[in-house]
Amino acid sequence: MKQWLRGSILSLAVTVGLNLGAASASAAPSGTFRFAEEVKLVTLDPYQHSGGGISYMRPVYETLFTRTPDDKVVPLLATGYKIDGLKVTLTLRKDVKFSDGTPFNAEAVVANLKRGIKLNVLAALRPIGDVTADDDYTVTITLKQADPSLITDMTTEPGMMISPKALDNPGLDRNPVGTGPYLYDKADSREGEVRVYKPNPNYWAPDQVGLQRIEIWELPDDTARLNALKTGQVDVGIWLANPQAAIIGRTPGLKLVKNVGGYTYQVIIQDRAGTKVPAFADKRVRQAMNYAIDRDAYNKAVDFGLSEPAYQPYPKGTWEHDPGLEGRYKYDPEKAKTLLKEAGYEKGFSFDMPSIPIFQPRLEALAGFFREVGITMNIVPVEPGTLARRSMTTDFPATNLVINSQADPLYLGNWYVSQDASFNTYKVKPSDEIAKLLQEGLQSADPDVRASIYKKLVDQLADESYLIAVTSTPLLFGVREEVASNPTLKYRPGEDTVYFRGLKMDN
Amino acid sequence: MLRLVIQRLLALIPLLFIVSVLTFSFTSLLPADPADLIVGEQGTPEQYAAVRERLGLNQPIVTRYLRWVDRAAHGDLGTSFFNSVKVTDALMQRLPITASLTAVSALIAIIVGLAAGILAALRPRSLIDRFATLGATFGQAVPNFWFGLLLAAIFAVGLRWFPATGFTPITQSPWDWLRSVTLPALALGLASSAAIARQVRSSMVGVLQQDYIRAARAQGLSRRRVVFKHALKNALVPVVAVLSFQITVLLGGALIVEQVFAINGLGTLAITAVRRQDIPMIQGLVLVMVGLVVIVQLATDLIYGYLNPKARPS
Repeated sequence: MKQWLRGSILSLAVTVGLNLGAASASAAPSGTFRFAEEVKLVTLDPYQHSGGGISYMRPVYETLFTRTPDDKVVPLLATGYKIDGLKVTLTLRKDVKFSDGTPFNAEAVVANLKRGIKLNVLAALRPIGDVTADDDYTVTITLKQADPSLITDMTTEPGMMISPKALDNPGLDRNPVGTGPYLYDKADSREGEVRVYKPNPNYWAPDQVGLQRIEIWELPDDTARLNALKTGQVDVGIWLANPQAAIIGRTPGLKLVKNVGGYTYQVIIQDRAGTKVPAFADKRVRQAMNYAIDRDAYNKAVDFGLSEPAYQPYPKGTWEHDPGLEGRYKYDPEKAKTLLKEAGYEKGFSFDMPSIPIFQPRLEALAGFFREVGITMNIVPVEPGTLARRSMTTDFPATNLVINSQADPLYLGNWYVSQDASFNTYKVKPSDEIAKLLQEGLQSADPDVRASIYKKLVDQLADESYLIAVTSTPLLFGVREEVASNPTLKYRPGEDTVYFRGLKMDN
Repeated sequence: MLRLVIQRLLALIPLLFIVSVLTFSFTSLLPADPADLIVGEQGTPEQYAAVRERLGLNQPIVTRYLRWVDRAAHGDLGTSFFNSVKVTDALMQRLPITASLTAVSALIAIIVGLAAGILAALRPRSLIDRFATLGATFGQAVPNFWFGLLLAAIFAVGLRWFPATGFTPITQSPWDWLRSVTLPALALGLASSAAIARQVRSSMVGVLQQDYIRAARAQGLSRRRVVFKHALKNALVPVVAVLSFQITVLLGGALIVEQVFAINGLGTLAITAVRRQDIPMIQGLVLVMVGLVVIVQLATDLIYGYLNPKARPS
């Protein structure tokens, strides 16, 4: 068994965790904060949650660890961790109770994680073999395989702690019970319209409860959400790269805030052994496709100038990003044609690409670029909601997906690169160098060590060109100007939400 | 009259049965799968299979349908595939919102349509008539969502007279309710008012040329009395038929207009349910919509009978 990190990191400052996102919040909560979500609430059960909408859970549920606004992982309900081989030991805070009065302790953590493992919805919990309580405030997690992202994963849904008394409630998805600074007010909330939260009178850090009321509005229509922001019906809302987001940036009284995170749109060549499309087996062809894309034009036309050209899955500001790759495949159709000629595809070739309506403009733009160099990409519509599943089959030789910029780089291996990766459907073995780097990346939890490994990995992947990054879109928030200047308003890195803890409003 | 009501209500049973069979069949034919959305992109094939098993999607459609009918017959339309929200609760919460929006839209459509139609009919080929005809053409040509966006931009975002989004229940604040419902109801009612205006005009022009109207005028009755007492009642007979159709159009239009104004009615619920392939919710929605249409048509028949004694059931 490899020892991928020894020693205690208990020295992580607990106080940092305690004061996250907090300016001087007064003892008496006051003011209302109104946030607009772009997705409707599906569930308030973090272990059954996938996709967007984490904002709905953040006021109620706290995580074992959390990220600071400058993207450092620090303890919150935990006080520290120690990694020894495949054993991860967590120590816990002793002064915390759930809002129903149940004490937060090792038993609660074990009950939560075991339930999460059993439900098997969250991929981050799959490497966990067992969880045991060593004493009242110490938990040991035994991993089935090395997983350096475990602690980071505990900053989101997998680390959210539910009261053990509520775990068996079949209506948990609408009756959340956590340790957080706010309580979900079911009576005041209106299903499908607005979720209301009130202060938790027994919160363990009362000075962090700055608001009398939080309203999270379910506004999936981009124009309606924009109108709500313009008229002051909401204070902050989230947007994707679309015309309405572009309007925010040029509307007086509103501010478009870009935050670390978001997603990178990628074309994924799955048939890289050339089973169905022989051309894909040649690296020069894949590189030609990379050179054929005018990312600046794509960004202006498809992403309304709100994204950045991308040559790797991780954008600037993330620790995995390699600045050396910037401009690696700068638009050069002549070079693309030369590479195709060298590979024997001077006359081009064609392939099918699955599309869902939301990706159609992206693919139409890409098809235009590929056509310029002689490659015909046939866009084949698939039923909305089925793209991920169809991409896990060999129905198509390539696909197109977005990768969350905050996903740990080990998922590059798990999803796209390893021979058994979910989207490596043709089971193509990666190069020895790439396989070695993937393994090395799992051996350490130290971000500095991992950064150097994964930078080499993304460099190799850029050379192989079977993951063709197109643009990286940051997290976009539309904010009313008077709220934007509020020093207690901080945006969670990598998440389309804000820190509710410590937030204060003067309204 | 009572017999008609009973007949119609009894006819509702086979109608709902046929509609529920069709809805169940059509949703099963769709290639999209709610299990895909539930397991998400991180889901494994095993999870996907487990979710399909849990939702009963692997069972034959007939078995699933019969189980649903059995529960529905006991007043239980089931629970959403995605959370613990009961279908009946979701429908009951949203029904008053959409009903309220549709009712105000219908009221606007009737008032504007009648006024424009009568004015145009009283002075055929006059400037008023041409203006009303032009307005009616515009009203029928303009998509309601575009008109809604325009109204929101001018009166909500620009002038701030009305809220841009949301709906306030009348029980909470009648004034805020009126403010929240005005713009979406105008957006929704425009096309219907245009259709009603056209019908009223053509019907009224015909009635005003009838002998009994001439006789009424010859008797020295006032113009107002002739128009409103004698002509309008007869002119309204074909209008009521149009109105019945228009109310069903309004219910359909609410699906789009509710999105524009972020109103959490049946339309918004329908769009969310269809996008997620939330079959129990879709089933419940279709039943409620069919029930509403049948009730509207029944009410229309009753009004029709009042206006035209010859149409009353014997």
